[in-house]
Amino acid sequence: MKRLDVLVIGGGPAGISAAIAAGKMGLEVVLLEEREFLGGQLVKQTHRFFGSKEEHAGVRGIDIVTELTATLSGMPNVSTWLEATALGLYEDGVVTVLHQGRMHKFLPRSIVAATGAFERFLPFENNDLPGVFGAGAVQTLMNMYGVKPAQKVLMVGSGNIGLIVSYQLIQAGVEVVAVLEAAGNIGGYLVHASKLRRLGVPILTHYTVQKAIGTSEVEGAIAVRLDDRWNPVEGSEILFPCDAICLATGLSPLGEILSQAGCQVKYVPELGGDVPVRDENLQTTRPGVFVAGDLAGIEEATAAMLEGELAGLGAARTVLSQRASPWSEEDLEKRVQDLKQKLSGLRAGPVGEKIRKGLGRLRPAGESGEDVPEIKPSQQDQPPLEELWKTGIPTPSQLQRKLPEEARKQPRPFAVVECFQQIPCDPCVQSCPVGAIAPFSTINDIPQVDFARCTGCGNCIARCPGLAIFVVGYQPEKGKATVSLPYELLPRPEKGQVVEVLDRAGRVAGEGTVLSVLDSPRMDRTAVVKVEVDPELAMEVRMVRCPVENVNAQETQQEHLAQPNEEEWAQDPTLPGDDTIVCRCEDVTLGQIRELIQKGFTTIEEIKHVSRCGMGPCQGKTCSPIIAREIARITGKPLDQVKPAKTRPPFGGILFEEVVRSEEESDGGEAYEA
Amino acid sequence: MRVQQHPVLTFERGARITFLFDGQPVEAYEGETIVAALHAAGIWKLSESPAKHRPRGLFCAIGHCSSCLMTVDGVPNVRTCVTRARQGMVVVSQQPRGDLG
Amino acid sequence: MKRNASVVIVGGGIVGCCIAYSLAREGIKDVVLLERGTLSGGATGRCGAGVRQQWGTAQNCLLARESMRVFENLPDVLGMDCDIELKQKGYLLLAYSGKEMQQFEKNLQVQHALDIPSRLLTPQEARDIVPMLNIEHLAGAAFCPTDGHANPFLTTLAFADAARNLGVEIHQGVEVRAIQQQNGRVSGVTTDKGSIETPVVINAAGGWSHEIGEMAGLDLPVFSERHEILVTEPVNPILDPMVMSFSYNIYCQQTPHGSFIMGHGPENEPPGHNQESSWQFLESMAKKATWLLPPLAKLRIVRQWAGSYNMSPDRQPIVCASEQLEGFFMAIGFSGHGFMLGPAIGTLMADLVLRRPLTWDVTLDLGRFSRQEIISEPSVV
Repeated sequence: MKRLDVLVIGGGPAGISAAIAAGKMGLEVVLLEEREFLGGQLVKQTHRFFGSKEEHAGVRGIDIVTELTATLSGMPNVSTWLEATALGLYEDGVVTVLHQGRMHKFLPRSIVAATGAFERFLPFENNDLPGVFGAGAVQTLMNMYGVKPAQKVLMVGSGNIGLIVSYQLIQAGVEVVAVLEAAGNIGGYLVHASKLRRLGVPILTHYTVQKAIGTSEVEGAIAVRLDDRWNPVEGSEILFPCDAICLATGLSPLGEILSQAGCQVKYVPELGGDVPVRDENLQTTRPGVFVAGDLAGIEEATAAMLEGELAGLGAARTVLSQRASPWSEEDLEKRVQDLKQKLSGLRAGPVGEKIRKGLGRLRPAGESGEDVPEIKPSQQDQPPLEELWKTGIPTPSQLQRKLPEEARKQPRPFAVVECFQQIPCDPCVQSCPVGAIAPFSTINDIPQVDFARCTGCGNCIARCPGLAIFVVGYQPEKGKATVSLPYELLPRPEKGQVVEVLDRAGRVAGEGTVLSVLDSPRMDRTAVVKVEVDPELAMEVRMVRCPVENVNAQETQQEHLAQPNEEEWAQDPTLPGDDTIVCRCEDVTLGQIRELIQKGFTTIEEIKHVSRCGMGPCQGKTCSPIIAREIARITGKPLDQVKPAKTRPPFGGILFEEVVRSEEESDGGEAYEA
Repeated sequence: MRVQQHPVLTFERGARITFLFDGQPVEAYEGETIVAALHAAGIWKLSESPAKHRPRGLFCAIGHCSSCLMTVDGVPNVRTCVTRARQGMVVVSQQPRGDLG
Repeated sequence: MKRNASVVIVGGGIVGCCIAYSLAREGIKDVVLLERGTLSGGATGRCGAGVRQQWGTAQNCLLARESMRVFENLPDVLGMDCDIELKQKGYLLLAYSGKEMQQFEKNLQVQHALDIPSRLLTPQEARDIVPMLNIEHLAGAAFCPTDGHANPFLTTLAFADAARNLGVEIHQGVEVRAIQQQNGRVSGVTTDKGSIETPVVINAAGGWSHEIGEMAGLDLPVFSERHEILVTEPVNPILDPMVMSFSYNIYCQQTPHGSFIMGHGPENEPPGHNQESSWQFLESMAKKATWLLPPLAKLRIVRQWAGSYNMSPDRQPIVCASEQLEGFFMAIGFSGHGFMLGPAIGTLMADLVLRRPLTWDVTLDLGRFSRQEIISEPSVV
């Protein structure tokens, strides 16, 4: 039995930050990570992060891990256990851990749980065929092991994960045939959507996947349009030839160890599902147990890091109440308040609305619902984003607002910042050497260029995490214009090369000559390509094709698009068929679930008892959310009243021999004698 | 298939090793998971589902779903998506359950 | 929910559901079963679900044999399609001393008188049946090929469905809060969803039967005790019988589905309703299981949980009408073997409610404790 101050479960951004925070307090900390590396999902994130400088804005996820682990390794009082799985948190406060073929027991004074999330499965016909992948699996294969997941991928889901993974697929040399979004608007940051659009990837809103084609592996997919009531529109089907369907249909908090340990959980759809109830310091209903990161509610990694620090300090404080602290209580409190303020700043803008609402729901009954303050961005006069939400392509009038007056358009080049959405991000402000991008009053502000100051130097291009800044220059004397654009694909264009130039929808707009390719180490793998084009193309061209390998033009896909007849929208919803697999572990179908619900089994626990859904190795992570929705649909019960199934240790499972080794460890290795 | 060149990432691959999958040698790099090596070799079908005997392939790659359970060196139900390949490992697919002992 | 019932059964485990079915089959109308949670959500759904006829007392042998006859022929008995995943591959009882073997021999005589096909085995013969068995220190074994185990959820639900088909009203999510009396007899129950007038209440509340007794003003001599259990990932069939040792307090079976289910009796467990799992159980179970069945070392435990044994003073069931309160009946104190006796208990309870002689000559009444007629059953875990 190992006694210690703070045990942190989960070595992603939240967990590492918690361990660092508690470590700074001089406490004895152990950080557990299930995988053989720290960083959680960060290690798969090749894109630059949004947010502000203090929270690693502009740094790629993979490099944030390096920074964080460097800090950790300088802390002798924090030990990191890799390939260490927390199996259960028991009544007596003991956490059992599987590590190197043996069960270990920890008795911590306080705990930070930062176990992250799991991906939601989607019910559709043939959803279990090889080639239907979770987005996380695709990232793992291509970004960690350098294995191409497939040749042609259909992405389902346009949240940030769907958009980012699509872009990463293209970077790995995989074709993305389309991104489907069941909702009416693109779910993720619009700059991510625009990046994909100019590479020719269609994004279809109001569309979902209806069926995977194939018998032994995916050979294609049928997408279908959804009406406003989310019912499929007959005749709107599109066949996409592809060898993989990637599901990026959302994450749910992975809190099985907390619900097992008796921490109260609550269903909060805005936070992704069942989340632990906690106070403003992130302490759960079990004293001394804190939460942070996706487990506490699905959010971005920046929020996870801030929450991690807050939870780490909270956990440290429960220990320090009986001990001398290296920080004065005032300093500690100041930092805690600072973190809370940063978190609310991050959640302040329009994209934080969902989180604010979800956190409001976590307030104890009786208190008002939405009491997380909205800090409005200073710019309140933003026009609605309209079509941009559906297409990822700004409208001419939106673009007009980003341009200087005619007189300023020459002779000096100028920056066109195609950033229209209030998202928490500000590296462009820091990037400008002449201060032409005015400092923000809140992190969610939209950059405004002072064209009188802007020299068109292009420093900002490679620094924008959304790859949304371009520099345009008109050269009337040559009858030409130049466009400088960010480029993150291989191979790089070469100086002097004549390339096809693409517009914001990935269509070929004409030809251009590459004038320069800046690709210095300082630019951190985002090259800036300067291409010379006809002046009338200067405001159209936003990508170059070099060569064609990864770029697949919009038109080819549009041919498949049937025009839905809106009047013929199906009256009867065609739901996923009865043969659809719900439980991958035990092969239970939607039809079996429906039959049980009709028979009166209206809780997940009962359905688990008779169908074995949730008894398999995944412990219900795949099936439970689908079953809950089906119960709600059939019985008319609100989702938050469908009780989750009980969770049971040992999570992830453990071999008998691994448990036996633990026993040997504690009793001096005596063999069992009959 | 493997990504040879990547605009952002560099893959520091370990030593080349070989393990047996259903009797066939499969090449892998030290440090990568069994499934990563199988996928790179074009092997997508990892198991068969228990009731309907449908082919199952990689799904979550983080040890959460049950699609990649195989018998590895005599131990059934090993999550091959999070188990690293080792030289000479004997990996047997389960159709659908593994055998003990 | 009916507001008037002829009988209200409290508890929707195997015992309550078997009773509901038996009463309805006897033609009793207006039977209502109330379950606080969900059917089989208590001890029934948490148990090892063994069905063993190898007992040391004639009445246990008899009741288990009769129950097994029902389990074996359940679709015929209930007149409906049902699969309770019955695996009738025997029970292998292990003996680690001459004394234990002698006891088995005595038991065999009792069993054979009731045509139970049990037999004694040498350690080697035991290993022929369970090749993975460690026979170190093993003195011998007893084996009955017609013993077995079933799926407790499916079994309970089959009886519940059969009862419903015969007109029984079953309500889940209804908690009994009080038992009404008038003129010294039962007159109704109060629940969190309203009251039901009834002249008969049957306490089949398993782990909570003492509390139900208190509602009737009775101090029933039963208490609850946590017992823990675990399940592994499924593997292809390798273990036929339920393996059990009294001296090591352990049982282990492989379900037809492939997973192993096993548990052992607790040491120094205080009475109470604690149903939390413990790491200590994981350790002791792993030690015992891998010693007894060494290949299990390579098998993965995926879930552990706990349930309540409702313990009686002689660790034998109490099935009777209350002598103090007219109209109050009980089927309680099963001490860990309620599942396998369920069908027979249903029959006995129907006899009691109908005030007719018991179908079998057994003594399970509460009065046995004051009469000093404690049942001495040597074969319990």
